[in-house]
Amino acid sequence: MRTVVCVKQVPDSTTVKFDILTDSLQNVHYIMDPIDEVTVSEAIKIREKAGGEVTAITLGPPRTEEVLRSCLKMGVDRAIHLYDEAFDNLDAYSTSSILARQIAKLQYDLILCGNQSMDEGNGFVGAGIAESLNLPLITAVTRIDIFADTNTAVVHRRLKGGDREIVETPLPAVFTAETVLTSPVYPRLRTILDGLKKNITRVDAQSSSLDIEGIEPALALLSISQPKPRLKKTATIDSSLSPAERMKLIMSGGVQQKSSKAVAKPPDAAASEIIQFLIDNGIISREM
Amino acid sequence: MAENEQAVTPEASIPLSEQENGSRDVWFFVAHRDGKLEEACLKLAMEARKLADKLGGEALAVIIGKQVKHLPGNLGDYGTDKAVVVEDQHLEVYSGEAYVDVLAQLVESSRPSILLIAASTIGNDLAPRLTARLKASLVTRYTEIEVDKEGKVTARRAIHGGNAQATVRALRKPLIATIDTQLLGLQKAKEAKNTRIAEAKIRIDPKTGITRVIDYLKADPCAVCVSEAEIVIGIGKGLGSVENLAAVDELAHVLGASIGGSRRATDEHWVADERRIGMTGKTISPSLYLICGISGAFHHTLSIKESQLKVVVNTDPNAPIAKMADLMIVGDMQKVIPELTKQLREIVRPTR
Repeated sequence: MRTVVCVKQVPDSTTVKFDILTDSLQNVHYIMDPIDEVTVSEAIKIREKAGGEVTAITLGPPRTEEVLRSCLKMGVDRAIHLYDEAFDNLDAYSTSSILARQIAKLQYDLILCGNQSMDEGNGFVGAGIAESLNLPLITAVTRIDIFADTNTAVVHRRLKGGDREIVETPLPAVFTAETVLTSPVYPRLRTILDGLKKNITRVDAQSSSLDIEGIEPALALLSISQPKPRLKKTATIDSSLSPAERMKLIMSGGVQQKSSKAVAKPPDAAASEIIQFLIDNGIISREM
Repeated sequence: MAENEQAVTPEASIPLSEQENGSRDVWFFVAHRDGKLEEACLKLAMEARKLADKLGGEALAVIIGKQVKHLPGNLGDYGTDKAVVVEDQHLEVYSGEAYVDVLAQLVESSRPSILLIAASTIGNDLAPRLTARLKASLVTRYTEIEVDKEGKVTARRAIHGGNAQATVRALRKPLIATIDTQLLGLQKAKEAKNTRIAEAKIRIDPKTGITRVIDYLKADPCAVCVSEAEIVIGIGKGLGSVENLAAVDELAHVLGASIGGSRRATDEHWVADERRIGMTGKTISPSLYLICGISGAFHHTLSIKESQLKVVVNTDPNAPIAKMADLMIVGDMQKVIPELTKQLREIVRPTR
């Protein structure tokens, strides 16, 4: 089973902040996208069961090599780094087209991508690659079973409320993974040391193997700005309150108002109130 | 096979200068279940009306299914000018491959400006597929779409986990945009429309799909992981002791809920570790989160922000959790929960 895994280096969303003074992102710490740790782990587990090899591929500036190195240390066999100044600030559409053209030059049975990246989260690259290479696509994958003898795979897809759809597909195919797909692999020291020695193949726009003619972006990024605050449910300020209390409410954005109705009730009245609330909001319905 | 006819030609994308061709209409994709429209569709209809007014075009619903002609019924109240209906027995349930074939043909013949899709399980599968097929522009989970004087469309969306916002311009047509319909309120249009229904004749090849759905696993709502559950009951210190767990369990079965807990609840082994909700556990996004006896420390509340409705049962009206509550009940969960179970048993049944 030859698996190609598309990986991405992203700024850690848990630390990154938009700074108004400098009008730029601050606290940018680049990490391997957590979903890619899942897909790489799954690819390695598939190799353990069905044999074959795993190739990791990424597109981005020189720093993104760190991600490929991490993949090699996890036990990936080969790593390909697509980098060219012409690739700077690409949109998801162009990225998927370039990745697809490089993948087309490889031998593969399975292409794994994350369902959506931690930073931009467009959720497009998997679909873009599948369409470019004319392969079947299955999204939101939570489990993969490979049947090498028939060259097919049976996968579980995540649906609403924990339901699963089981789909059979011929290989090669593109799967986009959910985080629950698998737990991370813990490589042995030998694997880590071997990973440090492996070569990373570099491919740029000039290299004869990659033709990026005719790839046009579908979206132009105009600006990155401060996030819009989340909409809060605010209540009109009660005119019976004292001016000081009203000031307090205005300054707190009216959020205090939410709990203002709270009064202790006996259990049966409390239960009725909850039930009425659930009915009003369509969570449950009254039978008969 | 239809898939093979679509050769790989990114060159065929529509140049900017030709974008003025095609219509200024805004389409929206209608999801339905058990012969009924989902409420999300009415919200999409509203949003489509708003954008169509900005662009100076019409708002159109696209409905695909087996028997769906009756569905557009009340869309007119939300400002929908026209409903395009595609009926075929092979389209009864959603299949990415089949639906994309149909939608791609429809969109290519009419070239709308924008196609709105709800960011649901189906939408998240459909939108990228369709974008790739049509070589269109895609904006997922947008928060705002603006149209300038020349009719150019820009969209805003949250990036970096909500820590920044990106403004992007669509360079191709149509712009396929998904939106989290929970962000939209529901309000009827000022001017109701008489929705015209047009039946589109689309060539449907029943063998269009390469993949095959072989089974469907229905989840047990009580056993499902809290991160995927539609209803979650969270328990904390207020449970008191393990004997009171049976009552919570009973409520969970009546309500079809999955039980999770705070750090305290998992440390006390009232709830399994993998059901811990919070910074060191799972992040949840249910339609209803019933929070019992949890005071609302930052470590817990960080992971429950995506819950649509939060009902709090707590003895302390000033607990930090009260600030997040959509409904705050001041009371002892040990007394309220058995009563709630009793009353629920008498009169209601869960809708799902």
